[in-house]
Amino acid sequence: MKRGVGIGLVVLLIAALGGLVWWMQGGQEQASNTANSDEKVTLDFWSFWGSETRRPIIEQMISDFNESQDEIFVKHTFIPFGDIWTKELAAVASKNQNAIPDVVVGDINAIKLRGQKQQVEPLNNLVDVNALQGVMHPEAWDAVQYENETYAVPFTMDTRLLFYNKKMLEEAGYTEPPQTWADLTEMSEKITVKQGNTFEKVGFYPLFGVGTDVWLINADGRNYITKDGEVTINTPEDREALEWINEFTDKMGRKEIDAFKAEFGEQQANPFLSEKVAMYVDVATFYTQIRDYGDHLDYGVVPLPEREEGSGHYSWSGGFALEIPKGAKHPKEAATFIEYMAGKEAQMYWAEKNFDQVANQEAGRAVADQLEDKEKEVYEVALTAMENTLLTPVPVEVPDLVSLVSPELEQATLGKKTPEQALQAAEQKVKAAKEGAQ
Amino acid sequence: MKSLRGSNLVVFLLLCLGSVLILLPLWWMISTSLKPMAEILQFPPTFFPDDWQFSNYLKTWQAAPFTLYLVNTLFITLLVVIGNVLVNAFVAYGFAKIQFPGRNVWFVILLSTMMIPGFVTLVPQYILFSRLGWLNTYLPLIVPAFFGSAFFIFLLRQFYLRIPNELIEAARMDGASHFYIWWHIMLPLSKPILATVAIFSFNGAWNDFLGPLLYLNDETKYTLQLGLQVFKSEANTQWNLLMAGSLIVLLPVIVLFFIFQKYFIEGMDLSSGGKG
Repeated sequence: MKRGVGIGLVVLLIAALGGLVWWMQGGQEQASNTANSDEKVTLDFWSFWGSETRRPIIEQMISDFNESQDEIFVKHTFIPFGDIWTKELAAVASKNQNAIPDVVVGDINAIKLRGQKQQVEPLNNLVDVNALQGVMHPEAWDAVQYENETYAVPFTMDTRLLFYNKKMLEEAGYTEPPQTWADLTEMSEKITVKQGNTFEKVGFYPLFGVGTDVWLINADGRNYITKDGEVTINTPEDREALEWINEFTDKMGRKEIDAFKAEFGEQQANPFLSEKVAMYVDVATFYTQIRDYGDHLDYGVVPLPEREEGSGHYSWSGGFALEIPKGAKHPKEAATFIEYMAGKEAQMYWAEKNFDQVANQEAGRAVADQLEDKEKEVYEVALTAMENTLLTPVPVEVPDLVSLVSPELEQATLGKKTPEQALQAAEQKVKAAKEGAQ
Repeated sequence: MKSLRGSNLVVFLLLCLGSVLILLPLWWMISTSLKPMAEILQFPPTFFPDDWQFSNYLKTWQAAPFTLYLVNTLFITLLVVIGNVLVNAFVAYGFAKIQFPGRNVWFVILLSTMMIPGFVTLVPQYILFSRLGWLNTYLPLIVPAFFGSAFFIFLLRQFYLRIPNELIEAARMDGASHFYIWWHIMLPLSKPILATVAIFSFNGAWNDFLGPLLYLNDETKYTLQLGLQVFKSEANTQWNLLMAGSLIVLLPVIVLFFIFQKYFIEGMDLSSGGKG
C-alpha cells in the first residue's frame, strides 16, 4: 500500500514525461506539414537583423522578393548575432536536412575557411559568377573565393573614416582636415587641453574607436599575410605605425588616456558626440548616430589620413555575405534568392535605409547619386574610401592569425616590448604556424 | 561596551561600502534603462538620468513579442525545476542511504561527468536530439532535467548523509518501503537543500541562452533570453532598451531569492550543526 504510493508517483512522472514528448513532437510534425502544404518551396533564411531599425528593412526586401516569385517563399528567422554561426555549425554537423537553413548571413572574413572545411555549398554552378564578379567590390569578391570556387555572395561592407569637429579645429587655427599622420600628431597636440591629470578635450588618439590592426593596414595597404601568402607583418611601415601610436601614448600619458577611455566605456558614451574628442575614427554608419543624437555638431569627414604623403589612405572593412550551408535542402532556390539580394535594387534599398556600405558597387554609386546634403557628402567620402579599403579574410593556412599577432601588438602598445621586438615575434609565430600547416 | 559599539559601527560602515560597490552596476543598469539614447551617448556619462524615460520599459516590451517569450520561458523553467528537484532527490537518496554493489564506483563515474566541459558535448548532443526528431521543440531543454544532474545529486547526497541512518532503520523496521521513506521522511527533512536545488535550476533554465538558441528554430517558441538579443546587433546597440529588458528578466530571479532566502540560511545552519 505504502509502496504503491511511491511506485505510483514514478509511473505518473514517466507517463507525464512520455505525454509531453508525444505532444511536443506532434506539434513539430504539424508545423512542418502546414509549411509544405503550400505549393511553393519554403526557404529558411537566418539573419541576426532583429533590431527595430534593421528588421523592417530586411523583411521588406524579403517580402519584395516573395511577391516577385511564384515558386519560392522565403521565411526569415532572427538568430542572435555571433551565436547564429554556432547554431549553423551544429545544424550542418547534424546533417539533418530539416535542421539546416537554406541561406545564412555569414561573416565575410570566415568564408574562405568555411569553404575549405566544406561547411558551405560551392556556388559556381548555382549563380552567375561573371555577372557578380563584375559588380562586386573586388576585395569582397576575393574574400568569398577559395581555390577557384565561390562559397558565398558578398552582401554588406563598411569602411573606417575620420570624423572631425570643425569648430574644435577652427579654435586651434585649422581650416583644413588632417591628411597625414604628421598632421594628426601636430593638430592633436594643439587641440588637446589637459588640466592636471585629466583631459578637458582631446584632439586625437589613434586607439579610440579602432585597434592597432587598422593602423597597420593603413600604413602600407597590406594585411599580415598577402594574397600570395607572403608574411608582411614585420615591415618598416608597420614599425612606424606602432611607433607613431606609442608617441601619442607617451606624450599624453598612458594612465590619463586609460582613465579617459574608461569613462566612455565600450560603445556607450561617445566622446565625439559630446565634443570631447575633435577627431574620431568610425564607420560611415556613425553618420546616423550623429544625425539622431548630435544634431548640434558641425563636423566633416575624410578618408583615414595616410602614413605620409602618397602612401595611400588605406582603410579596413568587415562585412557579411550570404551563404548556403552544406547540406541545405534547396540550394538552387536559395541561390535565386541570394542573387536577388545581391542585385542592384535590393542592395540600393539596404544601403539607403541603413546608410550602410554594400558590396554591389553599382548600387553604392547609384545611392550616392540619389542622396542630398550631408548624407551625400558622407556617403561620397565613404565611396572614395572604399577604393582603398581592405578586407581581412581569415587565411586558410593560418586560421588563428589574429590570435597569434594581437597579443604581440598589445605588448608593443603597452610598452612591454619595442615595436621591433613585438613585430619580430609576431612574424616568427605566423611563419612557424604557416610551415606547420604545410 | 563603548568600544564594542565603536567596532560595530566600523563593521556597519564597511558593509555599507561593500553593498554600494556591489549595487553600483545594478544602479547603472537601472539608470541606463531610464535614459534616452542621446543621453547614453553623452560624455562624461550622467549618474542620474536628466530626462527620465519610463516609457523605455513599454517600448522594450513592445519591441518583440515578450509576453509570448515570458510564457514560453515560464513553461520550460517550471518543468525543469520539477524534474531537477524530484529526480535528483530520488537518485541522491539511493546513493546516500541504500547499500548496493559498486555504489562508490557509480558515484565517481557520475561525478566525473561534471568534468566534461559543456561545449565538447554540444554538437554530439545536438545530433542526438536531431535524430530523435526533437529539434524545434522544448524537449531537448526539458527532458534532460528528468535524467539527473551530477552536481545536484552530489549536493543532495551530501545533505542526506547528515540525516541519521537510525531514522531510516526505524522506518524500515516498521515496514516502510524506500519510496515511502524518501517521500515521507527524507523530502520533508531536506526542504532547505531542495529549495537550493530549485533556485539553482530555476536560474539555470531561466537564464539558459545556448540551449534555446540551438534547439528552437521558430521565433514563436523563443525564450526571454533570446528575445533580449534583438536590442544588440553588429553595430548600434540600443542600450536603454537592452538594460530595461535585462532588468525585467532579472526581476523574478531577485524576487525568488528573497522568498527562499530563509531556506538558504537554514541550509547553512543544518550543514554546520548536523541536527536532524
